[in-house]
Amino acid sequence: MKILEIKDVHAKIGEKEILKGLNLELEPGKVHAIMGPNGAGKSTLSKTIVGHYDVEVTEGDILYKGKSILNMEPEERALEGIFLSFQHPVEIPGVNNAYFLRTALNAKRKHEGKEELNAAEFLREMKKYLEMLGMKADMISRSLNEGFSGGEKKRNEILQMLMLEPEVIILDEIDSGLDIDALRAVSEGINMMKDGKRSFLVITHYSRILDYIKPDYIHVLKDGRIIKTAGPELVAQLEEEGYESIEEEA
Amino acid sequence: MKLLDLKQKTVEEAAALLGVDPKAAALERFAAIGLPTKKSEEYRYFQIEKFYEKEYRTLSYVPHPIEEAEKIVITDGMVTHAPKGMRIYYEQCQAMDMAHFDPMYYLGHLLSPHVIKIDLDGDADIEIEHRYTQSGALINYRIVLLNQANRHSTVFESFQAEDISDTLVLYGYDIFVAPDSTLRMVKNQNMHDNQYAMVASHRFKLDQRANAVIKSFDMGEDMGLQLIKAELDRYAHIDAGHLLYLNNEAQRGTVSKIIHRGEHATSHQEAKNILDGHSRGIFDALIKVEHTAKYTKAHQNSKAILLDEKAYMAAKPQLEIYIDELEASHGSTTGQLDPKQLFYLRSRGISEVEARKMLVIAFANTLIEQVKDHRHQEIIKKTFDEAFYRN
Ligand SMILES: Nc1ncnc2c1ncn2[C@@H]1O[C@H](COP(=O)(O)OP(=O)(O)OP(=O)(O)O)[C@@H](O)[C@H]1O
Ligand SMILES: [Mg+2]
Repeated sequence: MKILEIKDVHAKIGEKEILKGLNLELEPGKVHAIMGPNGAGKSTLSKTIVGHYDVEVTEGDILYKGKSILNMEPEERALEGIFLSFQHPVEIPGVNNAYFLRTALNAKRKHEGKEELNAAEFLREMKKYLEMLGMKADMISRSLNEGFSGGEKKRNEILQMLMLEPEVIILDEIDSGLDIDALRAVSEGINMMKDGKRSFLVITHYSRILDYIKPDYIHVLKDGRIIKTAGPELVAQLEEEGYESIEEEA
Repeated sequence: MKLLDLKQKTVEEAAALLGVDPKAAALERFAAIGLPTKKSEEYRYFQIEKFYEKEYRTLSYVPHPIEEAEKIVITDGMVTHAPKGMRIYYEQCQAMDMAHFDPMYYLGHLLSPHVIKIDLDGDADIEIEHRYTQSGALINYRIVLLNQANRHSTVFESFQAEDISDTLVLYGYDIFVAPDSTLRMVKNQNMHDNQYAMVASHRFKLDQRANAVIKSFDMGEDMGLQLIKAELDRYAHIDAGHLLYLNNEAQRGTVSKIIHRGEHATSHQEAKNILDGHSRGIFDALIKVEHTAKYTKAHQNSKAILLDEKAYMAAKPQLEIYIDELEASHGSTTGQLDPKQLFYLRSRGISEVEARKMLVIAFANTLIEQVKDHRHQEIIKKTFDEAFYRN
């Protein structure tokens, strides 16, 4: 049983077709890495999965746990367990980071029929993860992503992932702009989430993060399609020879 | 009375109608400017003429005994409650502004047999509640507020309507901010009774090195306009912020003139407007820098978010400058909620309604959080919630 199945998806942004018959299956408990040149459609793929308004799916289907999600609102997909760590998390001045995350967590808990956490209970939890990720305590009181450095934004995405406990986790260039310490902290956070059931889609340009988060599969995305799927050994070849060397598999 | 009767009257005719001395200086000014029409610059976005045809019941303003309370309560134009030891007097206005731009400033003074004079002692921190119980009435009163040099006081204004339907309120302050002092005025307004209107015409005079902080939070319905004239002496500073959160047919806002007279004075004025339904927001604000006001710093900005395509924002920040040694800026923007922000929140499982509310409050919060006193911030946030879920 696959947790996520992307079947021959064609998708456009505006008038331009970006995904051109993309096929991909995520297995439970596995780490799937996606690599590919700039502009190939990697971020578009992640936006398509979470239901971003920019993207219009014109053909194909996406199944999550066997059911199509294409007609679901973004918040429903999130509540069902799909999470995207954005390549460029948006800044929202005036929305308190802790308040935002508590609202999101309580929406999820409510959806699962659990009791909502009050502010104190929530803060205790949040502080635990802040410390683990090496984040400053003022992240509680600051506005969501406002004025955060690149690394702080990425850590904040991981914080949300840890607290919301999703089942399909898409990480769009979580490693870009991170220093060594941040990369380690973020990877630890991700590895903590591995439980044999959750699956990960790690979009990256660099093999560095794959030293920390061991991938099970490498997929090459080029010109709107997955043109090759292989084991971790493919990374070395890509590093050496670039994407030009990859031939589309039949 | 009917306001229309005052239209295009000579001084003598107006004096007879209002029952005042024809030699009253305010009368001359009122007759000279005339009752505002839709052609008057200050009222071009506010349909004041709607009220001219209405027959209003006038009230009599006889002083009551004042009950002791934690705050000052002005009920239908008379002081009914006040903290012990507050210095409050009824008297003739001693220092009217003879160059105010607003005819309703003069009309308010002419209609009011006296002013309510409040002396703020030391570092006072008071609340003034305006309470209204009369429908179909014309309620008019003027307040004179004085603080003391070197002191820092705060006035929180709130509004309670038991019944204010079809009533027109004309009130306003004459405020004198003493040298080296700070006066904070925070106004929180959320009245939503049927068809009422409020025209609040104020005058602020800031002495040397005086500091005035004026924050208004208007989340009411129906019609309301505040008109502010502020004059700044040397090294004076004014920080004005205006929040509008309007819905339905509300038509509300601010018309202001901040005048830099002395050198080195600074002004900062910021409007945030959130407009839903068929509402109209007004921010028509002039900063004037006179030739005597070298080294002025003046910044002015208006931002509006339209939540409905039928909503309309009239934003006119303007600078009028007679010197070149200054630092000044002004601007205005109108937009919608940011779809990227909305999506980010929804992608974390937050419903669209809640996400919209979070963004609307976020937009307002930057102004709310400038209010120094956290108790006041909480009250304003609560008012906002009420207004949000009212619709
Ligand atoms: N909102 C948009 N409007 C117009 N074109 C867009 C938009 N978003 C993406 N595109 C285009 O779609 C194509 C794929 O973009 P996408 O962001 O998915 O690439 P990517 O593989 O994530 O690249 P990178 O490695 O640089 O992040 C690009 O040509 C891009 O210019
Ligand atoms: Mg990308």
